[in-house]
Amino acid sequence: MGSDLAVSASGLIKRFGDRVVVRGVDLQVRRGQIYGVLGPNGAGKTTTLRMLLGIIEPDGGERTLYDSPHPRDASDRVGYLPEERGLYPAMKAREAIAFMGALRGLPWRTGRARAVELLEAAGLGHAVDSKIKKLSKGMAQLVQLLGSVVHQPDLLVLDEPFSGLDPVNQERLEKLIVAERDRGATILFSTHIMSHAERLCDRLAIIAGGQRRFEGTVDDARATLPQRVHYQPRSGGAELAALLPPDAQAEPGGWRFQLPDDGVETLLGRLLAAGHGIAGLSIERPGLHEAFVRIVGGEEPR
Amino acid sequence: MTRLRRTLRQTLTIARRDFVATVYTPIFLLFLLAPVIMGSFGAVGGLGAQSVAEGSADRARIVAIVPDAQARAMIAADARLRTGFRGRDEAPAELVTLRPGADLPAQARAAFASRQFDTSAVLFGPLHRPHILYGPRGGRSAVYLELLAQTTLAAERLGGALPAVTAIKLPIQRTRTTTGGRNQSAFLAVFGIFFLTLFLAGQVVGTMAEERNNKVIEVLAAAVPLESVFLGKLLGMFGVALLFVGFWATIIGQIGSFVPPAVAAGFAELTPAVGPGAFALLFAGYFAMAYLLLGSVFLGVGAQASTPREIQMLSLPITIVQVAMFALATAAASQPGTNLARIAEIFPLSSPFAMAGRAANTPELWPHFAALAWQALWVAIFITLGARAFRRGVLQSGSARWWRRKRQPIDMGVS
Repeated sequence: MGSDLAVSASGLIKRFGDRVVVRGVDLQVRRGQIYGVLGPNGAGKTTTLRMLLGIIEPDGGERTLYDSPHPRDASDRVGYLPEERGLYPAMKAREAIAFMGALRGLPWRTGRARAVELLEAAGLGHAVDSKIKKLSKGMAQLVQLLGSVVHQPDLLVLDEPFSGLDPVNQERLEKLIVAERDRGATILFSTHIMSHAERLCDRLAIIAGGQRRFEGTVDDARATLPQRVHYQPRSGGAELAALLPPDAQAEPGGWRFQLPDDGVETLLGRLLAAGHGIAGLSIERPGLHEAFVRIVGGEEPR
Repeated sequence: MTRLRRTLRQTLTIARRDFVATVYTPIFLLFLLAPVIMGSFGAVGGLGAQSVAEGSADRARIVAIVPDAQARAMIAADARLRTGFRGRDEAPAELVTLRPGADLPAQARAAFASRQFDTSAVLFGPLHRPHILYGPRGGRSAVYLELLAQTTLAAERLGGALPAVTAIKLPIQRTRTTTGGRNQSAFLAVFGIFFLTLFLAGQVVGTMAEERNNKVIEVLAAAVPLESVFLGKLLGMFGVALLFVGFWATIIGQIGSFVPPAVAAGFAELTPAVGPGAFALLFAGYFAMAYLLLGSVFLGVGAQASTPREIQMLSLPITIVQVAMFALATAAASQPGTNLARIAEIFPLSSPFAMAGRAANTPELWPHFAALAWQALWVAIFITLGARAFRRGVLQSGSARWWRRKRQPIDMGVS
C-alpha cells in the first residue's frame, strides 16, 4: 500500500555551474490536492518541477513520485505542461494531442478520439484538423494543455499555465484544473500570479532565492501578516492620536492600524468614552498578494 | 507494463512521429526522386560528351601506306581483328590505306595534316619492319597497326589467307568462386554500403534541432528517457532510408530484367564466398548497422548544435568520417586476413563496411554474428553517450564535473 503522497521532495539541491539555483527545497503534495508553487521570477520553481519530473537530476536531496525514487517509473501517470510551450508546427491539433498521449502510453486511436472530444469541449472543435502553425499562440497553448491531460493523468504538473492566456482562457483553464481535481487527479502548478493561487490552491509553497520560505494553506499564508483595522471616528481631535496604537496612520476619512493582540474591544471602549464615536470600523484580512510580497521580501513569517 | 516494454513503446512512438513527419511532406518526394534528378543531369552531360566524342571519333583514322596487294590483305585482316573488340570505345579508328609515294616518310607526315580526317597513327615501309608514326593519343593505334602488319604478313606467307577456325563455343557455370569475383563482390559490397550511407545517414544530424527549436524537447524529456528519444529518431530516419532503398531497389530490379545478357553475365561473375543468399542478408544487416552506427554518432554530435548554421558546418566532418571509413574498409577488402583488415573489422565505425567485404572474401559465417552483435553494442553505446551529452550540455542536468566541483557548503537558510 503506497503513501497518500503523490509527490515528495526533501532537501532538493540544484547547481548550474557554480550557481546554486535550488537550495534544499522540501515539498509534500498529497493525492487529490491542488498544490501551488509560488515564487518570483528566477526563484527556482521551474528547476524544482523539472527535478521532480526527472527531466534534470538533482545534485542533492531526494524526491519521489508516487513512492518511486525514479520519476520515469510513473511517467505514464503524469501530465506536464512546461513553461516553454512547444509543439510540432506541422502537426494537426488532433495529432499533436494524440502524440502527447501516445508518449504516455495512450493508444493512438483512443488519443485521437479523446482529442476531438477535448478540443470540442474547449471550444476548439473547428481546429481539430488545423495545423499548429495556423493556430494563434493562445490556441496552441490550449492544445498543448489538452495534450497534457488527454491520457487522464493521476498527476498534472503545470508550469506557469496562465501566462500567455487571455482572461477568458485563464478562466477556462481554472475550470479545467478544478475539473481534473474533481476527476481525482493531483495538480501541481507554479505561478507568480496570486489571484489564481488564491482561488485554486488547497496548499501552496512559496519559493524565493531557491529556498522554500513558506508552506501551508492560503489562509496560513495570509495569517503570516497581522490583520489591519480601519477606524473612522465621528469626531476627531488632538487627543485622538494619543488613544490609538502607536502604529496608527492617518488616512483621508480615518485611521489604519494593526489589530491589537487583545482585540479591538478595549480600544473601542476608550474611544467611545472619550467621545470620538464610531462612524466606520472594519477589520481587514491581508490578501495572498501581501503575504507573498512580505514572505519573499525577506521578512520572517510570523 | 515492464520498463523495457514501456521504453520500446516510447521509442517507437518517437520513431513513428519522425517517419511520418519526414515522409508526408512534399520535400520527401524531391528527396526520393533525387537520384532521377542526379541521373538526368548525368545523362545530359553524358550525351553532350558522347556527341563531342563521336564527332571526333568519326573523323579519326589509322593509315597504312602499303601497295594495293597488301592493302587488300590488310583490310581483310583488319575486318577479322575487329570482331574481337566490343563497342565503339574499344575498337581502333577506321583503317585507311594509301598507295606509297616517292618519299614515304614525307607522305606519312603529310597524312597527319590531312583535312579529310584526323590521323592518329601511320604505318609505312616493309611489313616485317614497318615504321609507325603516331600522334599524341595514338599509342594504342600504333600497337594495333603493328598487330595488323603481323597478321597481314602471316596471311601472305600462308598463301593469302589465314587458316579458317570454326570454334564450338559452350557457356559453362563455375563450380567454385573466383578470386576476381570475390574481390569484385567485396568492393561492390563496401562501395554499396558507403554509397547508401553517404546519402542517407548524414540526414540524422539535424533531427534533434527541430525539437530544440520548437521547444518540444522538454515535453519529450518529461515523458520519455532521452535514450528512447535518440533511438526513436534514429529508427524513424532509418525507416525513411529503408523506404528510399526499397523504392529504388524495386525500380532497379525491374530495370534489371531488361539488362542485356552480356551485362547480366558480368554480374554472374560476382561470387561472394558466403554464397549469394547469405551475402544479400549480410549486406542488408551491415547496411542497417552502418546506418545506425554512423547515424547514432551524427545524431549525438548534431544534437549539440543549436542553429541550422552549426548543423551545416557539421556536414564536412561527417563526409570526411564516412570517406575515411570507406577508404579503410576498401583497403581491408583488398587485403583480407591482414592486420589492417582486422583493425577495420573491429573498429566500430568501419566494421560494417569491412565485414561486408569479408563476407565476399571468406566463407565463415560465425564472425558475422559476432560482428553484428559487436556493432549493435556500439550503437547502444553511442546513443547512450549522445543522450548523456545532451542531458548534460543542453538540458544542464547532472552535477558539475568532478574536477570543477567545489564542495563549498550551501547556505540553506530558514525553510
